[in-house]
Amino acid sequence: MALDLSQNKYSDVSMEEKDRLFAEAKADERWEHVLYGCYECGICVAACPSARFYDFSPRVIAQAVAREDTDLIYTLMADSIWDCSQCFSCDRCPRKNSPGQIITILREVSVKNGLKSAKEALQGYGRIIYKIMLTGTQVSPDMLQPDAFPDWGTHVYEIAENLDDWRKALPPETLHTTETSWVIDDKTIIELYLIWHMTGVMDLISGVDEGLYDIIVDVMEERLEEAGYDDVTFD
Amino acid sequence: MAHEKVNGCVILKDLYYNVENNTWVRVIDDSTVAIGMTDVAQNLAGPLLHAKTKKVGTTRKQGKPIATVESGKYVGPVKSPVAGEITKINDALSSDAGLINKSPYNNGWIVEMKADDLSSDLATMVSGDAAVSAYKEKIERDDIQACEQIEGADTYD
Repeated sequence: MALDLSQNKYSDVSMEEKDRLFAEAKADERWEHVLYGCYECGICVAACPSARFYDFSPRVIAQAVAREDTDLIYTLMADSIWDCSQCFSCDRCPRKNSPGQIITILREVSVKNGLKSAKEALQGYGRIIYKIMLTGTQVSPDMLQPDAFPDWGTHVYEIAENLDDWRKALPPETLHTTETSWVIDDKTIIELYLIWHMTGVMDLISGVDEGLYDIIVDVMEERLEEAGYDDVTFD
Repeated sequence: MAHEKVNGCVILKDLYYNVENNTWVRVIDDSTVAIGMTDVAQNLAGPLLHAKTKKVGTTRKQGKPIATVESGKYVGPVKSPVAGEITKINDALSSDAGLINKSPYNNGWIVEMKADDLSSDLATMVSGDAAVSAYKEKIERDDIQACEQIEGADTYD
């Protein structure tokens, strides 16, 4: 989809708010090391894999922040920075700019301020955290669904439809799974939950996503109780 | 069944809704209710792969999870709209979570609960035209995309 960079595209957001968000990015201690100026040579765009697949340009982002065009920067934060694959191929800039690092900072500001684009971009990570915390494996074969991976093309329909069979075709029996990357031993799971309990990591999750915290803790407490750890609670 | 569509999303007027948590309640008797996800909720989650309900006998406070649903990229709780005990679960969901997508208000019901104080819980929800208005406001406020009925879905023409 073509990127719409028209002026004041997000007129519902005040200029004061756009200025404030940019000021927050600029206040980041990394800022002075990632932006020096731009020759407009286009080396960053030529090296950028995302630029080949999306209407995305690291040069546009570097130039917008160099000009301190806060209206355009806001539009890029809403519509463009999430297309970066964070590979830092753009770090070959002869002026030593790092559009990838600029984007990292802009993304962090977007997340901290709860921008809609950040919530949408990170939505998929909720299930990844759920998987890591409950199974110790971060991805599962059943994530390969047409709505989640349209970039796989029509091939993904066939994969999703016959996932059980595909997995059973793999020689190791421990990979005959679709909900987890491989079969997870009960003992491993219990040890994992005890580590989360002892390190207080669940407190971090409760601060970020209460709904996710509730469902993870629910499962953990149930499994721990079944394993004889009745006294372990996360309250 | 009386219903209205808001941005393509079906709202049945005879149900009670917790709009914030996107759940519905069907009153079965003085204290027993069936609970499920709304059409808006199932559209936001996308095609569901897993729906894991809590066990029969589990007691829940209002707002605590009675089930967890997963799609390709989404996981989230179904938050209980009432306080009480789970008395029945929809076993069919363990093998076909997609029932929630196809039939959110009928075959895709999630649990039945015996509520501790149903009248107080219902007082926190909306029904009928008030539910339709509340969803119009929510869909506009949250910029929710139009609901799409997937193949084999219940028809509400």
